[in-house]
Amino acid sequence: MPEGTLCNKQPVDTEEQLKALLADKGGQIYYEEMKHLDVDVEMLRQTLGKSLKSRLRTWLSMCARCGMCADSCFFYRINDRDPKQVPAYKIQSTLGEIVRKNGNVDNAFMHMAMETAWAKCTCCNRCAMYCPHGIDVGVMISYLRGLLYQQGFVPWEMKVGAGMHRVYRAQMDVTPEDFVDTFEWMVEEYEEDYPGLNVPVDKDDADILYTVNAREVKHYPEDLAEAAILFNIAGENWTVPSKGWELTSLAMFAGDWEACRLQVESVYDAMDRLKPKRMVGTECGHAHRATVVEGPYWAGRPDGLPPVESIHYVEWVAEALRTGKLKIDPEKRIKEPVTIQDSCNYIRNHGLRDVTREIMSYIVEPGYFIDMAPNGEHNYCCGGGGGFNGIGLYRPQRNKALITKRDQIMHTGASLVIAPCHNCWDAIRDLEEEYQIGIRWSFLKPLLIDMVVVPEHMKPKE
Amino acid sequence: MFDRILLATSATEACDHAARVAFNMAERYKSYLNIFHVLGLPTRAYSQDVIDVKTRERVTADEEYVAWVKEEIRGYYERLLEKTGDNYGIEVAVGSPHREILRAARNNDPDLVVMGGSTGHMEDSSYKKTTAGSTFQRVAKAAHCPVLVVTRPAASFWGGFSRIVLGTDFSEASDVAFEYALQLARALDCELFLFHAVDVSAMAMGKVMAQDDIEEKLRVARRRMRSRYVPKMPDFESYTMDAWEGLPYVEITKYAREKQADLIIMAHHAKRDASGQAPMGSTMEQVIVRAACPVLSINRSVKK
Amino acid sequence: MHAFLTGPMFYISIAVLVIGLLVRVVRYIRGLDWKLDRVAYRAHRKAGMKGAARSIFKWLVPFGTRSWRVQPVMTVVFFVFHIGVVAVPLFLLAHNMFLEEKLGFSFFTLPALAADILSWGVLAALLILVLRRIALPEVRILTTFHDYFILALTAAPFVTGLICRYDPANYDFWLLIHIAAGELLLILIPFTKLSHVVTFFLSRAQIGMDFGIKRGGMKGKGMAW
Ligand code: HEM
Ligand code: SF4
Ligand code: SF4
Ligand code: SF4
Repeated sequence: MPEGTLCNKQPVDTEEQLKALLADKGGQIYYEEMKHLDVDVEMLRQTLGKSLKSRLRTWLSMCARCGMCADSCFFYRINDRDPKQVPAYKIQSTLGEIVRKNGNVDNAFMHMAMETAWAKCTCCNRCAMYCPHGIDVGVMISYLRGLLYQQGFVPWEMKVGAGMHRVYRAQMDVTPEDFVDTFEWMVEEYEEDYPGLNVPVDKDDADILYTVNAREVKHYPEDLAEAAILFNIAGENWTVPSKGWELTSLAMFAGDWEACRLQVESVYDAMDRLKPKRMVGTECGHAHRATVVEGPYWAGRPDGLPPVESIHYVEWVAEALRTGKLKIDPEKRIKEPVTIQDSCNYIRNHGLRDVTREIMSYIVEPGYFIDMAPNGEHNYCCGGGGGFNGIGLYRPQRNKALITKRDQIMHTGASLVIAPCHNCWDAIRDLEEEYQIGIRWSFLKPLLIDMVVVPEHMKPKE
Repeated sequence: MFDRILLATSATEACDHAARVAFNMAERYKSYLNIFHVLGLPTRAYSQDVIDVKTRERVTADEEYVAWVKEEIRGYYERLLEKTGDNYGIEVAVGSPHREILRAARNNDPDLVVMGGSTGHMEDSSYKKTTAGSTFQRVAKAAHCPVLVVTRPAASFWGGFSRIVLGTDFSEASDVAFEYALQLARALDCELFLFHAVDVSAMAMGKVMAQDDIEEKLRVARRRMRSRYVPKMPDFESYTMDAWEGLPYVEITKYAREKQADLIIMAHHAKRDASGQAPMGSTMEQVIVRAACPVLSINRSVKK
Repeated sequence: MHAFLTGPMFYISIAVLVIGLLVRVVRYIRGLDWKLDRVAYRAHRKAGMKGAARSIFKWLVPFGTRSWRVQPVMTVVFFVFHIGVVAVPLFLLAHNMFLEEKLGFSFFTLPALAADILSWGVLAALLILVLRRIALPEVRILTTFHDYFILALTAAPFVTGLICRYDPANYDFWLLIHIAAGELLLILIPFTKLSHVVTFFLSRAQIGMDFGIKRGGMKGKGMAW
């Protein structure tokens, strides 16, 4: 039985298929079927021929095999310096082999490659900074994921996630109606506290188009309210699109490039439709990477930029604090040891290091902010990036991978960790659950809400 | 008054007292009882896995599991369910408890939400730290209907409402609470005790108060109560008004005990402070854990 | 034999080296694809150049990057090795005289002592590189035959060159071997990993553009290599 009913080379395109896949508890049948899945060597070869060009080919062949990247990878460090966790080894033993054998690989090999691609690399790109030749193993692993996805060798949750994007244009089954309805509900719930609070849906020519993570809609709708409150306090002319509001892309983690394109085009369509001056995305790292950094290329935009200037939430916050749109009550600044998680996806991979430090200078009482070591562009992945957080099959590996961040946090002595990234936030939550080091963690929004000066007209009368 | 009751429960001992009250009410007032259970938040980002509040185990919240949980709940309340006959439903949701309870309250529009003081283990799991305030606090703050909490076993031996204490602090929310209390007292033919506690704790006033001051405050409070509430109950006779001095939560609890109240109604203030806790919230929380009867929380947004 | 190696063979090896490397460069650049690489090379030339320049320059400076700084031993070995491996062949007096005669130009000339030190440095560094490959598990697992081969290929001209210098008795014989080894190296550079003499710059420029254009170069202060 080469092609399974659930595990096969077909992407999930309909709600029924998605439901069928979800009904398979933890992917049991799915993984069972994967054991018999054939490798389509011809297709693999063709894909290599079409997409493996000089950059990747050169990387693969020029690698000096010097091992200078070994120590840069947190997987290598926490797994007792297992040589099999050296970035160069991980890519040479998978993609390198596929290329050398010209696609002639078998099922067992693909299983190994799948584990390497999703359980031994979070595509954090840290190793790229340590390789003298500038070889970015994270980029290559991501490419490898694309090949594996195409062949059907992809963790169950990733297939589900990519399917969600294909079916709902969101990472979860949240419809446009759910989104608007939830946002309005939240605003309703909070307007007692903040009179005049509102959420303008589909407003043309706004200054800011706000986009979110479906998880906020589904499980943390307070986040939507908080965003609305802060935009209102700052006096922003903002709006949310009823369609094209999903910033994230599990499809990127899955290596489903077609779904990536569909997803990001839905956001760009909203931009074209509503003509906002800028887009501000919520506090999510990979979502920013997907929609703002990589997205333009999936959508085939030659300038490599989204249709309108698009910024991460931290950029908006820094700007609002800098220009005085948001004012912080100095009394309420954070007065406990606090650190920040530098998300690879917009710090290392989008240059926003100083922006987050600037925010800290406004919201933390001087002397209480402690940076992790290393930090900024050199920070380690939280341990759960690249889809790792969500994959049940690799849970033990993920929990182990959290140790790096745990130790980094413990060394700062901070009791509060600010994590303006959904994935990082999750990973830090999980590491507290797993290792109980006694920390709290938070997005920026709730912290800001507690310390921002509310203008008179937004204070409840009474 | 109580056509539809939503019982938010962990289906564990933690909610037994609340459940008993809810079932008794459903029986007495012929209410439809919606038994609502929240499985917890997915533990793995966008995965389907949750930590079951009840067993603390990691489970996959798929249809099969949900069906099983429903069956479990049915089993757990088997004896109490005799009281409701067929007039009940069981719902299971995935998410953070307060949010899902609010969502259910919004969708089902119940006349009353009943909950235990704690939704079980979820309260002490690590994720609670990021969601300041207890589940009750957060539900009470935002629900558009009254929220009844029962934590103590003593509060659950209950034979219907007949003596209602309303604790007021003269806020707008207290006015809403008063309206509700009056309506309830009328509908169920209860006695209504209007009560205000003058807070004499040094903390509240910033200084130790002279006895004369206290007595003056008590006089003012009584006058205020009279002018504020009496005109609003023209054809209602069975009420009493009192103002005592002391620590508000102690006084309310004592007063309720003395009057053998079977229900305390208090206002929940909308405004939250830094911790997500409403200022009055602390008084309410204290009353809840001390009172020998159920406590009903009302916020400003509760519809008349 | 000598005449052949210093005559036609010399021209052939230089030609193979130059043409081979040129082909490498051209093929690399032509194989870049803004869509597949997801870098808008053309749209942001300036940011790209800046990123590329920083990316190359920082890595050519000893201890210029964090990677060099956190691995100081490797850094010293690398630079001792590479300075020698580049400088000695180009700037040795004897090589320059030879170049002048054959190609009509010459470079600046190293003092003899400096050339000696550099050459011994290269051999010492090579030894460490080999030992490292054997001793460190994280390097051992990566090492293939090819890696030892290019190390030997690189070592050969230096070993034979030094023998020439210290063993005048068999000078002619060793010189022959030395020239052969050198020419073999030149010929094989384009076809082995040694082609990194150009691909290093290409690859570093590319990743520099990637970070410079797409991944933050136009936002922050440029990658903190
Ligand atoms: C022209 C400029 C050159 C640059 C920028 C350069 C750069 C590099 C880099 C970045 C590495 C990888 C890091 C490492 O292994 O330490 C490397 C390795 C190496 N290079 Fe070069 N290289 C150059 C020229 C040469 C030449 C002319 C030779 C020999 C003829 C050479 C021989 C080697 C060897 C043998 C290695 C592997 C070292 C090992 O085994 O670890 N390189 N080079
Ligand atoms: S540092 Fe670069 S060249 Fe060296 S082994 Fe790693 S990937 Fe290869
Ligand atoms: S991208 Fe990150 S996780 Fe992947 S190999 Fe490189 S350092 Fe390790
Ligand atoms: S989750 Fe955060 S830290 Fe981890 S890889 Fe993604 S951005 Fe980096």
